[in-house]
Parts: sequence; C-alpha cells; structure tokens
Amino acid sequence: MNLWTRLYDYWKSITDSSFVFARELRRIFTDPGVILIFFVATLAYPFIYKVMYWNERIANIPVAVVDLSHSVESRDFLHKWNATPDVRLTHTCASMAEAEELLRNQKVHGIIYFPQDYAYQLADPLGKAHISLYCDMSSFLYMKGVYLSCNMVMLESMRNIQIDRYEDMGYDKEFAWALVQDAPYTETALFTPTGGYASFLIPAILVLILHQTMLMGIGMLAGTAREEEDKTIYRIIGKRRSLGVMRLVSGRALAYFVVYYALAAILLGFMPRLLGIPHIGDIGDILRFNVPYILACVFFAMTISIFVHERESGLVLLISTSLVFFFLAGVSWPKEMMPDIWKSLAYLLPYTFGAHGFIHMNSMGATLEQVEWEYVALWQQALWYFIVYSIFTYVASKWSEKKLNPFS
Amino acid sequence: MLSKILYIVQKIWLIMLRELKRMFARPLYIVSSVGVMLFCTIFFLSLLRSGSAEKMPVAVVDLDQTTISQRLIHEMQATPSVDIRMITNDYSEARDAMQKGKIYGIFIINEGFYQDLASFKRPQLDFYMTNAYMLGGNTAYKQMLTMVNLVSGAFQREVLRKKGMTDEIIMHRIQPLAIESHMIANPWANYSVYLVSTILPGILGLICMMLTIYVIGNELKHRTAHTWMQMADNNFTIAILGKLTPYTILYFLLGLGCQLTLYNYVGFPVHGSHVRLMFGLLLFLFAMEALGVLMITLLPVLRNALSVGTLYAMLGFSLSGFTYPNMAMLTPVRALSYLEPLRHYYLIYVNEALMGAPSINSLPYALSLMAFVLVALIFSPRLKKVLINDASYSDE
Repeated sequence: MNLWTRLYDYWKSITDSSFVFARELRRIFTDPGVILIFFVATLAYPFIYKVMYWNERIANIPVAVVDLSHSVESRDFLHKWNATPDVRLTHTCASMAEAEELLRNQKVHGIIYFPQDYAYQLADPLGKAHISLYCDMSSFLYMKGVYLSCNMVMLESMRNIQIDRYEDMGYDKEFAWALVQDAPYTETALFTPTGGYASFLIPAILVLILHQTMLMGIGMLAGTAREEEDKTIYRIIGKRRSLGVMRLVSGRALAYFVVYYALAAILLGFMPRLLGIPHIGDIGDILRFNVPYILACVFFAMTISIFVHERESGLVLLISTSLVFFFLAGVSWPKEMMPDIWKSLAYLLPYTFGAHGFIHMNSMGATLEQVEWEYVALWQQALWYFIVYSIFTYVASKWSEKKLNPFS
Repeated sequence: MLSKILYIVQKIWLIMLRELKRMFARPLYIVSSVGVMLFCTIFFLSLLRSGSAEKMPVAVVDLDQTTISQRLIHEMQATPSVDIRMITNDYSEARDAMQKGKIYGIFIINEGFYQDLASFKRPQLDFYMTNAYMLGGNTAYKQMLTMVNLVSGAFQREVLRKKGMTDEIIMHRIQPLAIESHMIANPWANYSVYLVSTILPGILGLICMMLTIYVIGNELKHRTAHTWMQMADNNFTIAILGKLTPYTILYFLLGLGCQLTLYNYVGFPVHGSHVRLMFGLLLFLFAMEALGVLMITLLPVLRNALSVGTLYAMLGFSLSGFTYPNMAMLTPVRALSYLEPLRHYYLIYVNEALMGAPSINSLPYALSLMAFVLVALIFSPRLKKVLINDASYSDE
C-alpha cells in the first residue's frame, strides 16, 4: 500500500464519519419528540425547579405553645424563640390535648411544652428544668427548623442561667462569664452561605437533567430506527467492518456530543448565574470537565439504547431511573451511609461522577486538579461504554447481513 | 335485563382476555411494573437502611500543637457520635479535602489554645461546614456543636473541681436546662420512614400513568383501536373497563405488596388504620390511571402523551412536599401542587400513618383524588371519537 492509498483511506474515513454525523444531526432536528426532550425539557426544567424552590428556606413554621408554668422565664424563652426566623408561635393552648389536636390537623408543625415546675427548677440552685419539644416528622425540614432553632435559644438561656447561678454563689460576673463562655466559637458555612435548598439541590438537578434527557432522547432515536427497520444505526460503510464500525459509532456520537456540549455549556456554565444560585467555580474548568462528562453520557445512553426496541418503550422503562440515579449518586443521601453494593453500582453511572465533580467545582470552588478523580473516572467510563457499544454494533451489523438480527 | 348484564360482562371478559394476551406477549409490561417496583423496593429500603445520618467525616486542624490540644482531639475521637477522618496542622489541606468531597466539616483549634486555657482566658474555636451537601453538612454541623460542648464542658468541670465541688453538683450547674425532644410518630428521626413511604407509591403511580398512556396510545399507533372498540360495540365504558381492569388488578397487588412490606414487614409506623391507608393508595392509583387517560385524550399521539406525562408526573415528587414543605413554596406553586395526585396521597399518608388523625381530615384529599377520575370521564367522549376513528389520528 503506497502513501497515496493510505492518505485516501484517511480522507475517506473522515468523509464517511462526517456523512454519518450529518445524517444523525438531521434525524435529531427532524423529530419533534426528540426536540421536545433534548431541547424543550432540558431548558425548561431548570426554571421550573428554581420557581418551585424560590424561597430557598422554610421560615415561620407555625408552632403551638403549652405553658403550664406561666412564668417570666418561660415567657422570656418564648419571646426569644419567636424572634428567630425559623418559627412563629401561632397558638397558645391550655392543654397538651388541645395542642396535639392542632398538630394532627397540621395547623402547627411543632409543640413546645413548659411543665409547671419550670420556673421553680430554674430558681433552685441545684434544679434542672425540662422543656418538651414535639416535632412534626412529616418532613425533615420542619424537624430541622423547629429543633435547631429551639436548641439555639435553649443554649443561650442556659448560659444566662449559669451566670446567674455562679453570681449567686458569690463569684464575680466576669469570672462567671469566662467560665460559661469558656469556648466561644464561630461557625461559618463555607461556599454557599445562604444554605438554601435551591442552592444545594439545583446544581445536582442540572447535571441530572443532561444525563436523563440524553438517555431518553437517544433511546427514542434508537427505538425509532429499529421500529422503522431503518438499518442506519448498524449498516456499515466501507470495506473493513471494524473500520466501518468506528466511523459509524464516532459519527453518531459526535452528533450527540456537539448538541449536548452546547446544552451543557448553557446548563452548567450559564444557568447557575441566570438562576442566582452559587457559582464560584472557574468557568474554563467546568467547560473542560464537561468534555468527558458529556462523552461518558453519550456512550452510556447509546449502550442503554441497545435494549430499546421501540420508539416509546424507552420512556416507559427509563422514567423511574431518574429517582434511582439521583439517590444512587450520594448527593442527597451521603455516600458514607450507602451499602457497598449500591456504591459499586453508582460507579457505573456517569451521573455519579458528573454530579460530584460539578458540585465541587461550581458550589465549592474546586479546580479541575481537585476533581481529578471524577475527571479521570469519566474518561474511563467514556472509553468503556464506547468499546461496549462498538462491539455491539459490530455484532449487530454482522447479524443484520445474515438477517438474523435479534436487535431489529 | 339479566341477559343484558351477562352480555356486557362477557364483552368485558373478552376484552380482558385480549388485553392479557397483549400484556404477556412482550416483556415490557411486566418488567416496567413488577420488575421496576421490586427493584425500587429493595433499592430504597436498603439504601436508606440506616435511616438517619449520625456522623459524617470531619477534619480537625490543630494549630496549637500542644499536649492539651492533642488530648482534646483524643477525647473527641473517643466520642461515638464524632467521626474525625483527618488531623492536620494546615488549614488549606483540610479545605482541599472538603473541596474533594472527603469531609463535610472543618474544626479549628487556634494557636494559643493551651495558653488561653491556662490563664483562664477564653480560647476561640472556629468551625466550617459545607452546605453544598445538605444532609452531610447539617450532620457535620451538629457533630461539631457536640465537639464545642465537649470542650466547654470539660473546661468548666476542671475549674469547678478545683473549686472543690462534687461531680453531681457540677452536672446541674453545667446543664441546668434540657430539651426533651419528641419526634412525632418517628422517635428515631428516621428519614427512611417518610421518604420511602412517599417515593415507592409515587413510583408505582408513575408506572400506572405511563402504562395507561402506553396501552391506549399503542392501539392508536398501530391502528387497532377501532377493533378494540368494535369488541365493545363502540361502548366506551365497556372498552375501558375491559382494557384497564387487568392492569388495575396488577397495580393493586403491587400496592398491597408495597404496603405490607413497609408497614408489616419492615414495621414503619401506622397510627391510624392500615385499611384506610390502603384505600387512599388505591384512590391514588385510580387518579394516576385517570391522569393517563386524560393525557392520551388531550394528546392522542402516543409519544406526545408519554413525553408530556413524564414531565408532568416527575414534578409530582417535588410538589408533593415530602422533601421541601409546600408552605415554603410560592403561593401559585402551592396551588399548582394540588394538580398532582401524589400531593393528595402524601397528605393522606401523613394524616393516617404519622398523625393518626380522624379520617374526616383525609376526606378532602380522597375526594380530590376521585375528582381526577371525574375529569377524565368528562373528557372521555373525545377519546371515544379518537379511538373509533383511529386511522385519522395515528399518524405523525
């Protein structure tokens, strides 16, 4: 083989791949169902989630008060508690039964109860007073808001009581202060100072939207091709089958990659700024991280699409994966608490690495070097799914010529 | 009269047989219902097995580097509710570990800690947590509060001992006030209880809606709807009863299995009645089926109905309010949330299982779920027309 034939071969493989690439782009842009999933859903969902979690945090949770001590001390406590942003004391009840009724009817989401001896115990230099707090457990955020704010007020009141007691014992005030506040502390929420729900959830959702719309859209394209007995997804161009497979797979993957790289730039680069959620990452690093993420997602979705035989069945089968993948990634439910088997399963999904990598960069300001582990893992996934899908295409094209293709 | 009833029953029976044949002809139906539910039940129950996050890895940055700071760290490590994953004297190292997602909090013992303690001055402690991971960051926060209290308590105890007080007296001085917290219906603060109790029925409802759209839409797509209608003498009620009954039975069995697993086998609390809760689930599944019928009625092309149905039903998980409470949402969003059947089921679940509230409280939600069926029925003449003239609707 002389130099010219070889050069011609290279040229041919480029033109063939470009042909497949253009054909796949045409299929994407002429299919209304795919356009709906690829573009409309992808761009609309971030806004919907932003609107749903607009307020970022839950404030003024209604709480009922049962105060049997009727004391200055209890009133003082309640006054301080009511001043916190988390709760609002909406009902004062004469008995626990009355307050429980309110909780059952969801008028309040917490009850605070002062026993009769509350003030008496506080006045006793050796006494220990108790407050009972009842939290509505129907949502984690109710419990967190009621419990943590009450705990904070309790700690502050406790300090004041301690100081009073030491003063009564004859220590001077300064010493009492030093004793009580021996270890003052500052607490700082790093990276996302508002600590809001949207700031936490939306970055993970943005990454998931890309993953899932790709999964469903590519599944739909593969299903359509099989249904219409359009063999283009495994008909080989050129003489050597192995080279043909490369041209076919790379041409199609490039079409998806181009479309989704643009979408990822919008969703992961621009959307956090537009929606006003934390974005302290370096945009260049995020764009570079997107390359293996989108590639891994493309080849993962293509591999899953092997099992989609019909245009619509992919949607029916894959819909519940969104929730499973979201939990599996270990963003909302910490990975430290997951059984090993699910941790291993999570490593098969591009979303797991994509979500952590993006959150570390976008929300915590990590550099690309700091997310190296995720970055490398995504390149490996891209490679593995590429190999798996290429083998499949090779086999399918062989069978399709012998007319025994079980995948059509 | 009787012969007429028998005739109708026979019609329904024949359509049911036809449907069963279709159902078992392809693995799609069984895999996407029974398979998915089985997997999700095992998955969510085992994933959330521990129920609550007790401790999360944190780093301690020891800038003091004295024996007393080291002893303190040692004491913290011995506390069961604290997980110190990393001890360093370099803040940037700890920050790097946090940005890599290895730790959720940083606890700093500042320089001069020992000197301050020795001279009765107040040593300053600083800690940082990440909010980028909500549950992890929160747990680390609570854990570091415990660590601060350990420091404070230990110090007070030492000083008071030197003043000659007994331990019992000291305890009361250090802790003159306490909160006894009661987690209603869930004393272990177990997230798994309400998460799994909403997610699993939610997924079942999702499957229910998607398959309903699919089985009706598929008849349109392959232009077989008119034969199906002919089997029912073009009577919509007979046609839809025959078609959906086999699936409804399947969903009911799956729902029952799910309830038995959660509340009898695993033992999640139900303070009210199991039967009423099951009834609520049944109404929810009906509502989701009705929603499916409504989708294919309004968008009589299979893929359009499925795509819109997917987008609509997925929002139900957020709008139901089981993670982020509805009271914190904007008013229009809160109003829209009642268009999601899952919102109503979740409220019935809270009333019946967690609160043990009288059944009258759940009645509005049960009625709302029935309203979904009513709305689907109101629009059904349109669907009937579409089904009979399937040739003109099935095309792209």
